[in-house]
Amino acid sequence: MTTGPADGAAPPDAGPADGAWPAGATAQADTHGSADGAAPSVRRTSRRALLGFGGAAVAGAALGAGVAAPVAWQASSNAATPTDIVGFFGRYQAGIATPAPARLAFATYDLTVGGTLAQRQAALKALLQAWSLAAAAVTTGHPVPGDLTDPEAPPADTGEAYGSSPANLTITVGFGPSMFDDRFGLAGRRPGALADLPRLPPEDLDPARSGGDLCVQACSDDPVAAFHVIRNFARLGRGTVVMRWSQLGFGKATSNSANQPTPRNLMGFKDGTRNIDGADRAMMNAHVWVGGETDQPWMRDGSYLVVRRIRMRIEAWDRDFLADQQNVIGRHKYSGAPLTGAAEFDAPDFAAKDSHGEPVIPMDAHVRLVAHENAGGIRILRRGYSFTDGMIADSGELDAGLFFMAYQKDPRSQFVALQRRLGAADALNEYIEHVGSGLFACPPGLRGPGDYWGSGLIR
Amino acid sequence: MHLNRWSRRVAGAAGLIAGLVAVAAGASACSSGSNGSPSAGATQVTITLTNDGCAPSPASMPAGPVTFTVKNTTGDKVSEAELKRGGTILGEKENLTPGLSGTFSLKVEAGDYTIECEGATTDSFPLHVTGGTAQAAADPAVAAKLNAAVAGYQTYVLAQADKLGPATTAFTDAVRGGDIAAAQRLYAPARSYYERIEPVAESFGDLDPDIDARAGDVEDPNAWTGFHRIEKALWQDKSLDGMTPVANQLDADVAKLVALVKTAKYQPAQLANGATELLNEVASSKITGEEDRYSHTDLSDFEANVDGAKQAFMLLGPALQTVDPQLYTTVTQRFADVEDALTAYRGDYAGSGYVDYSTVTEAQRRVLTQKVDALAEPLSQVAAKVAG
Repeated sequence: MTTGPADGAAPPDAGPADGAWPAGATAQADTHGSADGAAPSVRRTSRRALLGFGGAAVAGAALGAGVAAPVAWQASSNAATPTDIVGFFGRYQAGIATPAPARLAFATYDLTVGGTLAQRQAALKALLQAWSLAAAAVTTGHPVPGDLTDPEAPPADTGEAYGSSPANLTITVGFGPSMFDDRFGLAGRRPGALADLPRLPPEDLDPARSGGDLCVQACSDDPVAAFHVIRNFARLGRGTVVMRWSQLGFGKATSNSANQPTPRNLMGFKDGTRNIDGADRAMMNAHVWVGGETDQPWMRDGSYLVVRRIRMRIEAWDRDFLADQQNVIGRHKYSGAPLTGAAEFDAPDFAAKDSHGEPVIPMDAHVRLVAHENAGGIRILRRGYSFTDGMIADSGELDAGLFFMAYQKDPRSQFVALQRRLGAADALNEYIEHVGSGLFACPPGLRGPGDYWGSGLIR
Repeated sequence: MHLNRWSRRVAGAAGLIAGLVAVAAGASACSSGSNGSPSAGATQVTITLTNDGCAPSPASMPAGPVTFTVKNTTGDKVSEAELKRGGTILGEKENLTPGLSGTFSLKVEAGDYTIECEGATTDSFPLHVTGGTAQAAADPAVAAKLNAAVAGYQTYVLAQADKLGPATTAFTDAVRGGDIAAAQRLYAPARSYYERIEPVAESFGDLDPDIDARAGDVEDPNAWTGFHRIEKALWQDKSLDGMTPVANQLDADVAKLVALVKTAKYQPAQLANGATELLNEVASSKITGEEDRYSHTDLSDFEANVDGAKQAFMLLGPALQTVDPQLYTTVTQRFADVEDALTAYRGDYAGSGYVDYSTVTEAQRRVLTQKVDALAEPLSQVAAKVAG
């Protein structure tokens, strides 16, 4: 069998094609990569600098020894160096604070592996190691490690992203509450913050689109690069995990960066105007990154992800008159300005009354209920995507909406508290329905090659 | 029999073809540039496809891996080129309209072959492969184990074929006799011998579709023959009117198959590829309920496919234990998982040994698929380990 490098099968900029990885690794050069943090405003610049001036020095400075330089890129003087790489390694997992790219592929997996406790634990660790190795490769534009050229073997990588740029691909992994049962001996390691989500009416959750022992969030500006991740992770995990459900997001619905224009969700409204900026270190520490308060040290520098598949009753929404749509949200549809303001980033004036003495921003307007000023200071980092899965066969209506994703320090006091407020009073409830749900503990980032997701939990 | 799989028999069914190891289909038509490039060391043969013919260049080469690149430059009467030996298709590239090209790769042993292109003025060209046979394995101890595996598989296939003949005749006798109840009971048992060795059957041109095509696999419903045509008569039409010629034809086709397998020879990688293919067959048509859509005896075919795959794997076991003991252990465990899952559905429906497949829920089918996928993934790694 052929074990050498691909003979002409790999473009010169694709690096080792057959298992020579890790030959190079890219460290995050943004706030993730450094213990003291880079200034948010230089995040993108510094990422380019990392690649442009040689990774060894910068990566070394950021993470210390053990992180190899991205030699694969440097070796290819005749090929353009990709500038759309988000560092995979770092203190925090990428895909949370990093600016959300355009597309999402999300999947959850259930652990099905049998055997003795020791065998199951070994299988789980081997899975996370294999996923980590693959992630380090594909986020830098390399194929899944393994042989690609032996004519008698199925190639290690499925190939659809071959030769393509990763397009800001990030891969974020989380652990669901169901993983912390007796199957893997993890019952004693379950964080308090990973308490099962309570019933949050109104909701109509489909078990086939909810839960999961593990989740994988792959975001990229290239939908193929994102899908490639959940597909290959399923393949790498064959026999240990099965995919439970998956969701593609075709458009970023929520901004999490001051450097991005605020996108619109499928209701046609700007979403994320007052979201946490991932580059705002103080806000991230206050609301998103798990700190010393955790009861489980392995979650330090991690974050908790809540996902909700929120179906929009699009047909009904589309026949609602403009003024009502704006009252439901509490913002002007086109400018994104609060009903009390003129520009998108004007602060809403929740006390303002109209000539009839009624609140300008209605009491049941969505923005009023979720505003941190009115919600006891609660904030979450939203990172949602618009989805459609075609048509609902029973009704002929569109199956589309918002795949809501939010990161936070503690869902009990953040998402759950907020959603209770919304469930009780939100005018938007007439037009949406929560039909899928998931809660995941996302561990901290990987320190460098050899480290793996959850290494603090699963040894 | 599954049409999709049939139509890509270069990659799939050729995994079990006498005399060769078919290793991979090339990139699809219009492949060009680096992505479709063959592996290092393979002999390159160019076949220029025109209305005049399909002469290979070079026409003589040493034994070993060969990549054939087929280019249709101007031929509007030709669209495929086949590599054949002794009447058996070993590799091919189809659907090449003018301007398209594609590749296929094989490991060839010494001998005389032909390159054929139906529709051309001259439609057959000789290809000569020199030198000794390809090395089975560098380690003589492993090579001896692989030789034993191949011999064992040959014996297994012959034994199944020997039982397929009488079992089919018992079934067709009931059909000719108009005994619907008896024919229904004999249908699944006869098929099981076929399903165990299906990849071998598929290597013989049209025999597999003649024996095993389903309704959607044939353009002309009146030309539909084989087991599934009779299955429809037995379970859906509930009438055997007009089935006697179909029964006679089935007997003849099975007899042809039995004669052909007697001359078939195998290579170790073919055993492994054939095993993987049997599991793909389980996932793609048995678990979906497509295979036996009228009789719902799918689980009997499921078991036969798994049996056939396991037999091939077990024969390779001694060699694989030397080459990659970890992979051997994994695959062995996963076979046990699949067999355990299947055991839960034991029953006595229609002589199949299992329950009526229409009673198996979607959730249960999903678990079955997941277990088969969990087995097939590592199994697909075996061929490269045992190839020379």
